Amino acid sequence: MEKLNDNQPTSISGETTEKGMTRRQVIKTGAAAAGAVALSGGFPYISSAQNKTLNIVRGTYFIPGAQEIAKQQAEEFGKQAGVKVNADFLNWTDLNTKIGAGIQAGGIDVIELWPVQNHLYANNLVDMTEEAEEVAARGGGFEEYVLNSGHVNGRYLGIPHGNNAGTIAYRISAFEKAGVKHADKGGMDMTWDEYFAVAKECKKMGMPFGQSLGHSLGDPIGFCYPYMWASGALEVGDDGKTILFNTPTFEYALNKFVQAWKDGYDETGTSWDDSSNNRAYLSGKIASTFNGASIYYASKRRDDGGKLMNDTHHMLMPKGTAGRYHEFGTQTMGILNNSENIDVAKEYLKWWFQPENFDKWWRVQEGYQLHHVKNLANDPMWKDDPKMGIFKEIPKYGRLRGFAGNPNEKASLAASKYIVVDTFAKAVQSGDAKDALEWGERQLKRIYR
Amino acid sequence: MNSVSIQSEKFLDRESSLGVLLMLPGLILLAVFLAYPFFLGIWLSLTDTRIGMPGEFIGLWNYVDLLEDEIFHQTALNTMVYALVTVPFKAVMGLGLALILNNQIRFSNPIRAFIMLPWIVPTALSSLGWFMIFDPVFSPISWLMIEMGFIDSNINFLGDQLIAVTAICWVNIWRGIPFFGISILAGLQAVPPELHEQAAIDGANKFQRFINVTLPQIKGLLMITSLLSIIWTFADFQLIYVLTKGGPANQTHIFGTYAYQIGLFGTEIGMAAAITLYMFPILAFFSIILLRYMRKTA
Repeated sequence: MEKLNDNQPTSISGETTEKGMTRRQVIKTGAAAAGAVALSGGFPYISSAQNKTLNIVRGTYFIPGAQEIAKQQAEEFGKQAGVKVNADFLNWTDLNTKIGAGIQAGGIDVIELWPVQNHLYANNLVDMTEEAEEVAARGGGFEEYVLNSGHVNGRYLGIPHGNNAGTIAYRISAFEKAGVKHADKGGMDMTWDEYFAVAKECKKMGMPFGQSLGHSLGDPIGFCYPYMWASGALEVGDDGKTILFNTPTFEYALNKFVQAWKDGYDETGTSWDDSSNNRAYLSGKIASTFNGASIYYASKRRDDGGKLMNDTHHMLMPKGTAGRYHEFGTQTMGILNNSENIDVAKEYLKWWFQPENFDKWWRVQEGYQLHHVKNLANDPMWKDDPKMGIFKEIPKYGRLRGFAGNPNEKASLAASKYIVVDTFAKAVQSGDAKDALEWGERQLKRIYR
Repeated sequence: MNSVSIQSEKFLDRESSLGVLLMLPGLILLAVFLAYPFFLGIWLSLTDTRIGMPGEFIGLWNYVDLLEDEIFHQTALNTMVYALVTVPFKAVMGLGLALILNNQIRFSNPIRAFIMLPWIVPTALSSLGWFMIFDPVFSPISWLMIEMGFIDSNINFLGDQLIAVTAICWVNIWRGIPFFGISILAGLQAVPPELHEQAAIDGANKFQRFINVTLPQIKGLLMITSLLSIIWTFADFQLIYVLTKGGPANQTHIFGTYAYQIGLFGTEIGMAAAITLYMFPILAFFSIILLRYMRKTA
């Protein structure tokens, strides 16, 4: 993952924390705290806990088991700590609204944040650098993508817990019929041109590719940003002001995409949301799409004798003239600084990130949620299904919205206004990539002025 | 009886003081739930407030800036089209429905109740139903038309500008017809039958009776329902948010959905307040017409 223009905490990759603790001291502190919990059978730092209510807001999980475990664990913590716990799971799109309401009006203690949201709400989150580094030290250090995306100006505003990564899922049989070699092995190293050529062949066979270009915060952004980056364009340069969007290479690449959309894609994708491609793939309507591992996870649980599961594999995003990219960073469990229960919320997070709790939640997702710490990279779970192995490669190609600038409020505004996604949608609707790019450039100039 | 209870009795006996007292609960409710948010909205629109960040007073900058925002231009145009196209259809079709229901038909009461369903069902729920009907891949309409051989690929109901605008207008019309239908039906039933009988004796046919007797009698009702419908449609949100979230490429954004996107996703609540307040003069114009008309007819 490419680094941000940001100061990183140094305890894991270097030797000391901001507070001057060594790695060994951090581990000792963590072990001491855990020991205290074990010995006392409770949470010594929670004062007058009986009268407190902890409100936890998380996103809904595509893997149902993960949500069930998270809910049970919240209840378990409540019992152990003697506090009332409310755990809500919201549609990811609605999480923004809930966070906004929580910041303005209170009532939320713990919140699950998408990548970038820790930057967006930096003034409203509790500094948890110490707790985050404790988790990292215990897990053999954070993965590099977490070090690069999990902090804001050198501070962890919450504890990173990895993220679910999206990549290309495809039907092996369709790819083989289209002439792709070793499709059954997965992980093909394709260019976008090659990928579009396969799309064309698949559409001729009645099974086009599918991609959402609608107003949805997951798949459309996860596809369009990497294609833009791979085509040599950026929303904004590293000065955070210069727009590098309307480049000749991107215009050329967008024209290719417009042609590929006609030749190889289901053209109703302009109205798809994050779930449309899952449904289309699982019902055999499309041969390939950009998505998280939820498609494969669902195919494993279909009552079809393993037919769809055996016929599904994954590959990384194809390469463009400027390389291969994924839109990827870590999620974070944060605490709002207007919470009246910061002590309880911290204890909850410290408890939840203990391996006996966190790993249970993480493993049930079978690789859908990428690990945050290095020790989990070699977890036996990864050996259970080789088709999930490619997901571990994704962070290497990760960039955050707003790259090469910081993932700040301007990058969030550009994403929430779907400027890049709408540029793609306008291009395929009108067939005029140049006009769409000029529109997108004007919008980005207004945002990054 | 002590002096306090005598004084309070006197206070309650006075019409002016009793009036104030009775109005007080309503006044407090209006002040808390209408006036305060309204004035707060005006204040926010004059600041650069973001979620979680105190803003500074920037005068009319948000309003001026929106005038240069292409997406806002499209949003304003979409809102006009959405409101001004749907209301005439709702009025005409609602009138037709009312005329049918005004006849003596069997099971008229259950039918009237059934017809009210689109209006009664929560909009978010009915919009979800339409979302499934308009599904780009699994639409039953597309499936039926492909099976019947009329088309060879799915209709992109919510992904093509013209079809998407038509689709959301249609859902709005579907939802609004019962309101017009039942309101006009009430008006029709209040038309004195003697007027129709007299016109029939004078030789007027059904159409002439409708134009010269029925319409003048329900003209006021038609105007009030139309104005109310324009106001509600301008301020719509749920239907568009569920169906398209303003997409594709902002082609179905209306004021409410664009403000939501800027304010709660983009965190610029000052700017979002300015977007919604651009509706205010338009809604105020229609409200003034409505109030003046109601006063005149009263």
